[in-house]
Amino acid sequence: MSAPLLVVTGAVKRFGGVQALRGVDFDLKPGEIHALLGENGAGKSTLMNLLSGVYTPDEGTIQIDGKPVQFNNPREAQAAGIATIFQELDLVPTLDVAANLFLGRELMRPGGFLDVPAMRNEARKRLEAIELAIDPASMVSNLSIGQRQVVAIVKALSYASRVLIMDEPTAALTVGEVDRLFDIMRKLAATGVGIVYISHRLEEVPQIADRVTVMRDGRVAGVTEPHAPQAELVRLLVGRPLDELYPERAKAPGKTLLSLRDARFRLAHESAGWQPPAGISLDVKAGEIVGLAGIMGAGRTELLSALYGTGLSGRWEGEVAVDGRPVKLDSINAARAAGIAFVTDDRRGSGLMLRMAVGLNLVMSVIRRISPFGLMSARRQADAIKQSFGQFDIRPKNPNIAVGALSGGNQQKVVLAKEILGNPRLLLLDEPTRGVDVGAKGEIYARLRQLAAQGLGILVASSEMPELIGLCDRIVVLRQGRNVAEFTGGVDEHTVLAAANGREA
Amino acid sequence: MSGEKVSEAGGPVAAAPVHRDPLALVVRFQSLIGLVVVAIGGIIFSPRRHGQILFLDPDNIANIVRAVSETGIIAIGMTFVIITAGIDLSVGAVLGLSSVVTASMMISGGFGLIPTILAVLVMGIVFGAIQGTISTRFRLEPFIVTLAGLQAARGLALVVSGNQYINISYGEGPGLAPPVFAVLGERLFNNTVPVATIVFIVFAAIATIVLNTTRFGRYVFAVGGNERAARISGVPVSMVKISVYAITGFAAALAGIVHAGQFNFGSANDGMGYELTAIAAVVIGGTSLFGGAGSMVGTVAGTIMLGALANILQLNNITPAMQLLATAAIIVLAAVLQSLVRRREGLGR
Repeated sequence: MSAPLLVVTGAVKRFGGVQALRGVDFDLKPGEIHALLGENGAGKSTLMNLLSGVYTPDEGTIQIDGKPVQFNNPREAQAAGIATIFQELDLVPTLDVAANLFLGRELMRPGGFLDVPAMRNEARKRLEAIELAIDPASMVSNLSIGQRQVVAIVKALSYASRVLIMDEPTAALTVGEVDRLFDIMRKLAATGVGIVYISHRLEEVPQIADRVTVMRDGRVAGVTEPHAPQAELVRLLVGRPLDELYPERAKAPGKTLLSLRDARFRLAHESAGWQPPAGISLDVKAGEIVGLAGIMGAGRTELLSALYGTGLSGRWEGEVAVDGRPVKLDSINAARAAGIAFVTDDRRGSGLMLRMAVGLNLVMSVIRRISPFGLMSARRQADAIKQSFGQFDIRPKNPNIAVGALSGGNQQKVVLAKEILGNPRLLLLDEPTRGVDVGAKGEIYARLRQLAAQGLGILVASSEMPELIGLCDRIVVLRQGRNVAEFTGGVDEHTVLAAANGREA
Repeated sequence: MSGEKVSEAGGPVAAAPVHRDPLALVVRFQSLIGLVVVAIGGIIFSPRRHGQILFLDPDNIANIVRAVSETGIIAIGMTFVIITAGIDLSVGAVLGLSSVVTASMMISGGFGLIPTILAVLVMGIVFGAIQGTISTRFRLEPFIVTLAGLQAARGLALVVSGNQYINISYGEGPGLAPPVFAVLGERLFNNTVPVATIVFIVFAAIATIVLNTTRFGRYVFAVGGNERAARISGVPVSMVKISVYAITGFAAALAGIVHAGQFNFGSANDGMGYELTAIAAVVIGGTSLFGGAGSMVGTVAGTIMLGALANILQLNNITPAMQLLATAAIIVLAAVLQSLVRRREGLGR
């Protein structure tokens, strides 16, 4: 075993009265991929920020190659060889790849002119070094998220090349892109780069990590093997055994709420990258949770947003019926009138008013109900807020806080609670637990199952296969805008994946 | 800290801080605090005559609140627009157009008081609604649409007035305005409270109620807070946006009528630059240009504060150039405070 590259000893960090880190030890060996897990607020972001020079520790030391170092700013951390890739990739979308790679350190010709050809050549070399076919002249805004991630890695490595810290790099990637990213990470590790890999996704850990550190409440809860059983990791994460992440399934579903027969959504204008429903037949019954599986671009999100009227403009053809009556789901109003509610996959972008108080967000979909004669009723508003807080364990328990200050899991609970308040009969969910920690996931699953038991029909799209398999009564697999297979819950992952990819299991 | 707290306030609670962050409190009441600071400064630095503090002289106070009433009325309307994350640059020009139309309807048109006022207010509403409709229908930035609206309103005002001052003389008969219209330039209650100020305060009170206690008011916050989220929640976003521009149009027309009544003429150049003063008052009042947060009380305090500041500087014979610089400093200070709080809440950079 080689000597550690990076050692953190007894790191303590306080913010006012809050102790974010309470004495954390952490080490990274050259060529190692070290996964750092923890729920929101566990302290992993704080630790990452100490390593990348954003914060300085109040107590404790950081050593590189056995020598103590102190970073007063990110530049000093970079100089010591530590590069960090944050979730919001710091790329300028309106510049090309080469310009981004050399931003702030442009290659110049004599006379103060940019040497564009030299930068593009060098960029091409660096991209090819990790076998990536990206044209250095293409605009970053034209790249997929996965490609941007790789550009960000190449950029980070050109600043500093010994330690790479990656903050949830797979959060926005498709399955294929994740595999490619992991290949690149392994290749980098083989050259001696130490990688700290921060993630929420337990299932990725055995695939990529050499070692796992789990944090909880500002401490290291445990360091384990990546192949430790998932139950063990969950126990370390939440501090108690989580017997059942997924609740019991429904007994007998009720009558059919939503019924699609060869339903196609004809777009007013064709749009590249938007796969409209192109012949979908499925039912969602009262009390049932139906999952939508499929690879990226199969049309899961598109089906949900077309049903709710938030997608591109167009009209439904074929049979679309709610409660056995044909309906024209051509607008948000039509969908809401039919008792349909929708929770987007982008809670910050289109789900919440981040700067507004939690309570105000909660009542957003029932404003009409709580404002008789157009006047807001304070009592009805308070009742509605109380109802939501009773249903979901939103922390902190204070409706007056700006919702943007809540953790991802609590924000997601607010988005869900908001739609539940409207008493929908059919709930459309797009990636209901994206960026949500394990504890909150468990609560959300339990609540969804409870609501279903009360007669709600739920149609949920997810790219997390274990979630669909664990949560849903039935899983409908989409490919190119059509339903190609259907399974009952509890089916094994490979069977579903094979169907999604159009292969035999 | 409980659900009841929200209920007591009734109206929207703009992003209350998690813990009692003193900075956040300062920002929440920044315009009121600023108003108090300016008032204290006014008392300290006021010139005295026979031991009397001129700043506190009832006539002087009446002057301050009269002088700010027109921009105040506009700022009240502007608060709605800015909370939706929009902007209306046309208001000063609409004031000019309204003042001209008011004068010419009564003087050349021979219309009575009530028909004139109603017609001008409707004109303002329609003008604003058209801007709102163009902006929502064609998805144009309100900045551009209302910049065009500014030009259009000034152009129309020039056409109506023939680029002349239209003097308003009072009396019975053709070519004369009803004498009661002159009340807008007078003071009530023993010659203490200017009528223009009463119009301002009544309008502000109505606007406060609309913003904080009605469904429409809540929609205004929602649209500014996150337009997409509002749409998904079933908020009639386009209707709300068109309405807020109709409100600024109404406010500008109302201010134009007050202007004509106070100065006894209508000119196409009336209200030049008022839009900027109004925007400044709204921002100083703590309403966010990013939308989703703001208050009417803040706007009223911001308006009066700017007026009081100008008044002290005038009393001390400080040049208008210095007044502009002082206003600039206050706007920057207000904006910096807001941005600091946003950063502490972790909501922006």
